[in-house]
Amino acid sequence: MTETLHRTPLIAAGLLMGAGLGGFVDGIVLHQILQWHNMLSNQLPPDNLVAAKVNMYWDGVFHAAVWVLTAIGLRMLWAASRRADVPWSGRTFVGGLLLGWGLFNVVEGLIDHTLLGLHHVYEYTDDKQPWDMAFLAFGALLLLAGWGLVRAGRHDTAPRAAYQA
Amino acid sequence: MMRILGAAWLIGLLLMGPVAHACRVCRPRVQAQIHTPDYTANLLILLLPIAVVLLVGAGLYFAPALKPRPSLPARS
Repeated sequence: MTETLHRTPLIAAGLLMGAGLGGFVDGIVLHQILQWHNMLSNQLPPDNLVAAKVNMYWDGVFHAAVWVLTAIGLRMLWAASRRADVPWSGRTFVGGLLLGWGLFNVVEGLIDHTLLGLHHVYEYTDDKQPWDMAFLAFGALLLLAGWGLVRAGRHDTAPRAAYQA
Repeated sequence: MMRILGAAWLIGLLLMGPVAHACRVCRPRVQAQIHTPDYTANLLILLLPIAVVLLVGAGLYFAPALKPRPSLPARS
């Protein structure tokens, strides 16, 4: 009996983990190490200790949320690994990770930077738009790369059990 | 002996450094600025992009189960 194969559970797991890890890259690199922006820094500029600590609080809420996203992705990966109808493919999974990171950048960039103006990518300049556009373009590139890898992975058809000795 | 001297020198350096204190003066002002009437709105706005990504991921994960299955032939 041939069973229909489903690749979407593995892609979904990669997508959520990629989005979560992409959120951590944003929070750790852009918020904490480079200190280019904080979550609400366009509305509450961190120009005194109180405002900086309030922004730190909302950065923490953001980090907690992307942690939950990563944990849900990990749970999905665990469930997908135990299904015989899900082909086990590194290309598909890494493609999903890149898709997730790209999707996070595009969705967060459009909602937080462009529509709501909660913060901008680089706030120590008068012209913030080029930085926001570069962030979106990077997200689009990640989406393209992820899509390409997911497509390449469609030739992988063996389930995880096939790789076990 | 050199290791012990090195460790003692490092510990001494740490003990002589400036001491960091928690900001007891500004903490009430920080708490007041976090828990404003806009708290829920800020929280929902902040979580919106993550909710969108979560919905896409969950939709993709459950896509095979959500697809309409071909109907079985009716029993006579």
